[in-house]
Order: sequence, then C-alpha cells, then structure tokens
Amino acid sequence: MKKFFGFFFRNNSWLLLIALSAISLGFIKMEQENVVQRLNNAGTGFRAAIASKIASYSYLIGLKNENDRLLETNIALIGRILSTENAIRNEADRTRILSQKAESLKSFTLARVVDRQFSSRENMLLIDGGRSRGIRTDMTVMTPRGLVGRVVAVSEHYAKVMPLIHIDFRASVVSSESGTMGVLAWKGGREDMATVDHVPISSSLKTGEEMLTTNFSTFAVPGLPVGRVVSIKQGALFSTVTIQLAVDFASLNHVVVVSLNRDPEKLRLLEGKIESGTGR
Amino acid sequence: MKATTFRIAALLVPVTLMQVFLMPNLSILHVSPDALAVLVGFTAISAGRNTSMLTGFIGGMLMGILTGQMGLLMLAGTIGGFMAALFQIPEECHATQSLKTRRFFLASTLCSFTSSTIMTAGLNPLALSPAYRIAVLGGIGAILTLLLAIAARFLFMKKSFAD
Repeated sequence: MKKFFGFFFRNNSWLLLIALSAISLGFIKMEQENVVQRLNNAGTGFRAAIASKIASYSYLIGLKNENDRLLETNIALIGRILSTENAIRNEADRTRILSQKAESLKSFTLARVVDRQFSSRENMLLIDGGRSRGIRTDMTVMTPRGLVGRVVAVSEHYAKVMPLIHIDFRASVVSSESGTMGVLAWKGGREDMATVDHVPISSSLKTGEEMLTTNFSTFAVPGLPVGRVVSIKQGALFSTVTIQLAVDFASLNHVVVVSLNRDPEKLRLLEGKIESGTGR
Repeated sequence: MKATTFRIAALLVPVTLMQVFLMPNLSILHVSPDALAVLVGFTAISAGRNTSMLTGFIGGMLMGILTGQMGLLMLAGTIGGFMAALFQIPEECHATQSLKTRRFFLASTLCSFTSSTIMTAGLNPLALSPAYRIAVLGGIGAILTLLLAIAARFLFMKKSFAD
C-alpha cells in the first residue's frame, strides 16, 4: 500500500499533467463537437421552454377573462345579426307589401262614412262610393283594424253597407291559434260584442285568441281580423263564444271597400246551378 | 514558496489581459511575444512543475475565455508548463543569479515554443504548412518571448533573482 501511494507521490507531476491534459482534451473535444455551443443552445432552449410554459400558464390564467370577453362580444354580435336580419326581413316584407299594394291598389277603394243608422228597424252604414268608383254588391268593407261588413246595395255614388253588428249578418271565422271555426253573428245588445256559433265543445279554443275571416266566405277577404275571444260558455253540443269586435263602430269614419275575386264556379255550386254527374 | 505562489496567482490575470490586449501590438509576421510563457517560465524555476502546469492551465483557460479555443490553450499552457519545469531549480539547490536568469530564459523560451507548436498544430488560420508553422512561427515566437523575458528580468525581477 505504501508502494502504491509512493508511486503517486513520486509521479504526481506526471499525473497532474495527464489530468490537466485530459481536461484540456476534453474541452477541445467539446469545442470540436460544439458541445459547449450545444450546451448553450440547450440552455437557451430550456430557458425558452420554461418561459414559454410560464407564458402559457399565465395565458391559461387569463383565458377565463378572455373567454368572458369573447362571450360578451358574441352576444353583442348575435344581437346585431338578429336585428339586421329582422331589418332585412322587414324591408323584404315592406317591399313585398308595397309591390302587392301597387298591384292591388286598383281593387281597394277608400270611402267615407256619410251616414249611420242604428235603430231597431235598421242598422246600416252609408258610404260615399258607388258604381261610378267600381263598387259592387257583396264587396268587403274593412278598416285597417278589421272587418266592417259587406256592401248590400249600390247606387251611382253611394253604397249601403251591412255591418257586423247586424242581426242578419253572418260570416265564417276561424281562430288564429287553435284553428277553431265558427259562424260570426250579432244578436243585439252591445255594439262592440258579437258571438261565434257552431263551435264544438271539443275545440281547444281559448280566451284571448284572435278570430279571422276564412276563405270559406263568399264575400270576405280571408285573414281579416274580426275580434278577440273574451268568453266561452259550454253548451250541450256547442259552445257559445263571445268576441270583442276589432272595429270600433262608434268612431268609424272611413272604410276601405275591397273588390272580391269570387270564383263563379264555386258560387254556382253553392247555388245549386251545377248538375250532378250521377243525376243525369 | 507560498508567497511566490500567491504572487504568481495575483499576476495571472494581469498577464493574461496583457497577452490578449497588448502583445498583439508587438507582433512580427503575425507572431507576438508570449507573456504568459514568461510567467509560466518564472513559475517553473521558482515554484515547481505542478505549479507551472497549473499556471499554464489556468492562464490558457483565461485566454480561452477571452479569445476562444479554450481547450487548445489550456493544453498548450499545461504542456508548456511541464516543459518549462525541465529547467526547475530545486529548493535545496543554492543557484546563482545568473543560473536562475539563464534557466528563466530557457524555461520561458521553451514554454513559448511548446505552446506555439501545440497551437500551430491545432490551428491553421492562415493555411500555412505545418513545418512553416512550427519552425518559423514557433521560432519567431520563442525569440520574441525570449526578448520579453529579458526585458522583464531586468526591469521587474531584480529582487526575484537575487542570490
């Protein structure tokens, strides 16, 4: 053992030379293989990776606020899109209505109510439009609020109108929501109320529903508002439905007379003037 | 001995800085005197082989930090220190001033030549032939280093070489 350590003690200079040379050669080797540079690059990459991770974590931390902000932005954008779509739709509807109006203006005649007779003998409206303005019998009389009545007599410059609130007036109506059909009639009493007959008790009609004219009518334009259901009384087979009329007859000053495109074949069929195929 | 070692350690950084920043101004044929070899030569004759090798090793490391090629400069300094230690003066030997001076010159020159040879063997930035690099550049470097050692001996080391 003494010889072993004595060897190193006597030859320490050579050992130191070998050690230092080995270290130097190691450095040379590292430099030739760009190990130092790669170590630096690795260190830089490591630092960049850590910095990137830290940045990503901070990004994740801030992501909730960013999501909230984006959600608010999305809501605002959705609102703007909806309003824009509505505007486009309204504009399209307006354009369509205007175009239709332009085409069908010839069939609309504005008339002024010149006289009204509400008595136990007669309940009629007199308007200042007659044959000279193209008004014919059975034409529909309406206001923007809804149905007024029908033309029953025409002179050269005037016409007589049977209003809804006439004991002989009848019109087919349908509810706007449940589709329940019935026959409109006025049975006296208040001039702002009417009844709908022939409504089955099994119908799902509810109060508040709007009643419109149907296309079954031989004179009324389909879809005209008539009134709104205010009460429903169950009977044996049919319900008695009371509606509040859409038109205020007490303040009626102007009406629109609508020409009716009546189907002659339909009228002939209803009047029994068409022969049956099996009756020959 | 310890005082000499600390003195050498204190001189190591200034000598390295001088070698890097001042000696290139004294170059001939792209060869400059080796101040570090002078320090290593002095270390070899006064402090022994191990210290001279460590001085050359650390000096080469410092130069490598400043100029690059760290490993080659460390190896050149280490081997230069080893070779310079061939002219070591044993402690028990009561050498004369002239002997010390002579061995100092020889140690510095040999250290410079060895280091230059190793460096020229490892680097060839001017695309010179190996023989030219070793013989001419090494020789010129050794001569310039000898001149530097002579200047240092008579300007700064009078007390160090006293009998």
